Amino acid sequence: MDVGTIIAGLLTLAILSFLYRDNIVYKFAESLLIGVSIGYVLVITWSNTLMDLLFEPLFDGDVLLVIPLTLGLFMLGRFHPKTVSLSRISIAVMIGSGAGVAIPTMMYHRTIKQLSASIAPLVSLDGAFNITGLVVLVGLISTLTYFYFSREHKGAVGKVAKLGTYFLMVFFGTTFGYTVMSRMSTFIGRMEFLLTDFLKLTQ
Amino acid sequence: MKNLLPRHYVFIGLFLVILVTMALNISLDVKVSPYTQKLFDKIDALPAGSLMMVSFDHEASSLPEIRPLALAVLRHAFKNDIKLIGVSLFPEGTLIGYRLMHNTAKEYKKEYGKDFVYLGFRPQYVAAILSMGESISATFPQDYPGNDYADIEMLQGIVNYDDINGIISIADGSLITHWIEYGGRYKLNIYGVVTAAMVTTYDPYLASGQMQAMMGGLRGAAEYEKLIGIDGGGARGMLAQSSAHLYVIFLVILGNIIYFRSKKSGKN
Repeated sequence: MDVGTIIAGLLTLAILSFLYRDNIVYKFAESLLIGVSIGYVLVITWSNTLMDLLFEPLFDGDVLLVIPLTLGLFMLGRFHPKTVSLSRISIAVMIGSGAGVAIPTMMYHRTIKQLSASIAPLVSLDGAFNITGLVVLVGLISTLTYFYFSREHKGAVGKVAKLGTYFLMVFFGTTFGYTVMSRMSTFIGRMEFLLTDFLKLTQ
Repeated sequence: MKNLLPRHYVFIGLFLVILVTMALNISLDVKVSPYTQKLFDKIDALPAGSLMMVSFDHEASSLPEIRPLALAVLRHAFKNDIKLIGVSLFPEGTLIGYRLMHNTAKEYKKEYGKDFVYLGFRPQYVAAILSMGESISATFPQDYPGNDYADIEMLQGIVNYDDINGIISIADGSLITHWIEYGGRYKLNIYGVVTAAMVTTYDPYLASGQMQAMMGGLRGAAEYEKLIGIDGGGARGMLAQSSAHLYVIFLVILGNIIYFRSKKSGKN
């Protein structure tokens, strides 16, 4: 058995020991995870980002990179009250460009495309009835009604809003079910590692 | 035993259920869902020599669930002689993706630089996705091991998304949304390989046609393994997962019985 498997096996057991109660072995494993993760991200960021995308091309003569370098250095101005205003320039550039890129994209992909998919024809050209389309349409209208607060949820509006809550509950139930499935998969994956690779109890 | 709380018994029960079912080492037969079938059909329809991009957009913590999914789709691609470009938009996914691609490529005797290549990590996923849409070589002047883009045989003539057949994003979070939103600008075919927890998030994108196909969770991996004829981690875990689900249902019913009985008897 290689050293990596032994370390991974012992650390998995250390993390699982939290299920009994908080203890020093768990705390050690947790601290190690945080430290290693941050260290790894720092190394990757340094080598794949700062070196590859900034310093190497800058020293090769790409002088335009002085602009992002300067904006990046301005961000460090937040650490001192006298230079904090410099960081606002960088933040303004980030927010301005970020919003400029994101707003039209989100409007198109999250709103227009999703809305057009929600109002699909209920009867297709060959005459077949689109039951899924009807469910989506009723679900969309009733759920939106539930989140319509300008009118009291009474009478017909109240009934439609109530129907919306049922759709929401189905969604929450489905999402929760999938989340339980996901967590079980993670645990099973770890158990498979422990039993097969670490303890060699199964093949 | 005196110190054990009710939750400890719940954990012990779950541990025993999974331990016993895994010790049985039985691969449960699964019915392939239309989701997984569609992803399989899309990849299977690609002719040999087609080029796909695989993005490892996940963290290390979700690896136990992601690994069988990633292996299933990588094995299918290599089996069908599809060339793969690996990238990662998550720092933690970088080395995991590199190792997964290398180990799977070895199984099919695929050569680095000719059959697959790993470009590594780029920060700021929006910028990275948009940048690759213009020029992959400008985004990744070198691959992960440090070879120049121009020197890699497989990448000759590959400029941007126009030259690849699609992207398979292996994700445990919302990163596929960015592939859909920003990669969608370039008419990029997007395929999702996700953890079960993310299936409901991406379902609307699948229904609207913004994402071409998707598979999710350990069950998705088991279904895909069945389609490609491999007995992998997904199929092996199915009995344990089904038993664990039955155990959770049993606990929910038991909890409700206890609740209603205590309510009836006036206890808190």
